[in-house]
Amino acid sequence: MPKFEWQEVSIDVDEDGFIEDPALWNEQVALALASTEGVDALTEDHWKLINYLREYYAKFGIAPMIRKLCKETGYSLKEIYDLFPSGPAKGACKVAGLAKPTGCV
Amino acid sequence: MRDTATNLKRSQKAQTVIDRLGKKLNRQIVGSLAACVHCGMCTEVCHYVLTNPDDPTYAPAWKADRIRKIFKRHYDWTGRVLPWWVGAKSVFTDEELEELKDIAFGKCTNCRRCSVNCPMGVDFAVANRMMRGLLVSVGIMPEGVAVVSKDQWEIGNQMGVLKEEYLETLDWMSDELESELDDSAVRIPIDREDCDVVYSINPREVKYDPRTIADAAKVFYLAGESWTMPSEGWDMTNFGLFSGDDDLGGAVARRLYEKVVELRGKKLVISECGHGYRSTRCEGPNWAGMDVPFEMESSVITMLRYIHEGCIKVDKTRNDIPVTFHDSCNNARSCGLFDEPRELLSLVVTDFREMYPNRAENYCCTGGGGAMSMSEYTPRRLKSAKIKADQLAATGAKIVVTSCHNCVDGLTDLIRHYKLNMKVTQLVNLVANAAIVPVKVPPVIVPVEIEIPPVMPAIPPERLKGYKILVVDDEPDILTFFSAALEDNGAEVLTAADGDSAIELAGRVKPDLVTLDLSMPGTDGGKVFEALRLNPETADMRICIITGRPELRRLIYDRQVQPPEGFLDKPVNEDTLLLNVRKILNIN
Repeated sequence: MPKFEWQEVSIDVDEDGFIEDPALWNEQVALALASTEGVDALTEDHWKLINYLREYYAKFGIAPMIRKLCKETGYSLKEIYDLFPSGPAKGACKVAGLAKPTGCV
Repeated sequence: MRDTATNLKRSQKAQTVIDRLGKKLNRQIVGSLAACVHCGMCTEVCHYVLTNPDDPTYAPAWKADRIRKIFKRHYDWTGRVLPWWVGAKSVFTDEELEELKDIAFGKCTNCRRCSVNCPMGVDFAVANRMMRGLLVSVGIMPEGVAVVSKDQWEIGNQMGVLKEEYLETLDWMSDELESELDDSAVRIPIDREDCDVVYSINPREVKYDPRTIADAAKVFYLAGESWTMPSEGWDMTNFGLFSGDDDLGGAVARRLYEKVVELRGKKLVISECGHGYRSTRCEGPNWAGMDVPFEMESSVITMLRYIHEGCIKVDKTRNDIPVTFHDSCNNARSCGLFDEPRELLSLVVTDFREMYPNRAENYCCTGGGGAMSMSEYTPRRLKSAKIKADQLAATGAKIVVTSCHNCVDGLTDLIRHYKLNMKVTQLVNLVANAAIVPVKVPPVIVPVEIEIPPVMPAIPPERLKGYKILVVDDEPDILTFFSAALEDNGAEVLTAADGDSAIELAGRVKPDLVTLDLSMPGTDGGKVFEALRLNPETADMRICIITGRPELRRLIYDRQVQPPEGFLDKPVNEDTLLLNVRKILNIN
């Protein structure tokens, strides 16, 4: 299993760089994962999205539809792509410590 | 369970695979298993082999042999009688099946580049898909494939999107469009009956990035199309193609077809997705065992028709960033859809740069065949993507356009891995961006005159007067043909029949343009090209590469010099030659 290391962070990830054990996620890990998705710093806006993704995932076990994410957090599609350039599926979910979305993404 | 011939014990799963293999055999598969002569042509064209030259287990012929051995042992008389003579070998254990899984799912994207290049007509991808199906039927498959197949079986789409979530997303996109265009008629019609177009999409669009849905809706609206999106049976992707499970393939395809029939739609339009297009339009009727009573079409062709017929007007200057086009394997190699996207691109962008090789010879995005859903093979996938990364970088484009959602993700991944600074987009985004929204004015009825541009403008003679062109080719017929065509248009033509005299002549005469054949005995076109580029006196000379074998373009890519000004594929006709020569020489 690949290990991902960034500053003091060292975690197991899958081959696509998604966290293996969601229980090990913390804010420092989020910062570390963000560095692989073209996000240099996590602002308040980022955290709002990340927290919503985590809550939804804890409840339902899958990533929310982009519609839900926009509606519940109040961000537009464009703003989400500005915050996470690689998009909600790969970028935002990875940083939030979710498993890799299934299907052809 | 024991093998009757060897008296070795065989697992239940291995026995099932062998039994079911017999039921899967058809003319195409038997032909592909019997005809291989191990000539090695396939090894020169497979992106896995080219990036792992020292590992023979990636060679299509080697991979096919793993299936061939079982076939020979059990179903071909040569292997039953003389197994040692024809390399026949059975499977006995679950571990051996796991090894087959590693090959069938992890060492091939079923892109069919080896198939179209095989002189014996062996379609390895068909045999590989069959092997995937056999393994899936005994529960041996990558986890990602299992999850996605389950969702497609049970929920009706590959990402587990619920009906209300789907409808809410369409409603949302309708709201956005309505506020953009200030017209309630732009809202997406759901389940409308008797429409000319029923539009189907990839779940990825609705789950993660619905901008393509809004863009398509905008185009349909501007074109005045009578169209609808179905509330169910809208997923045109089909994991049956990837998993080799024909039952799943049939069930998914049937859902789409039955919904169109229920709505009495005249045509099913399929959004830009390579495997979805192939599954729905080409393979689905067979899997589903159904006569499909309506037409099916790629949205690329639909959009092209709207522009041709004047239904929408476009302003290509809105898309002025250099773009290149990546052919999806399923679209180009398996369905012949490669000229239409290029024609459409030329109407909606100002700077299109061809990628080489292209069309049916293009390399896979390396995420095909469901590879994007199999994380365990990601490192192999990204390693093999080196070929694609080089191809992309050589175009100099900033945006790569592709008509396939799978390719969008495969390319995005490799662009990041190889740090290419390119973006990926689809034709629908470019068409929607270029489409001119008419200003609302009180209706005045004016007859509309549609100007139909000539397909190939006639070139007045003497256009090439004053230009010196050196034609290099080892085939005398080509020399004569090119010379005649160019001289008829006023050019001064010199010819060289081999590489050495081409270098000498180019250095001495300094032509304005060299047309250079790649494949020549002795000093080949690649060496001539490099020699001309490295000599300061000829370094800036304009060069147009001519080749009948697009894969030979690596002779050019591998060189660290400025790329050639043009490429032409043989056979070349006169119009194409002259158009390209004029383009390279900047003659209008």
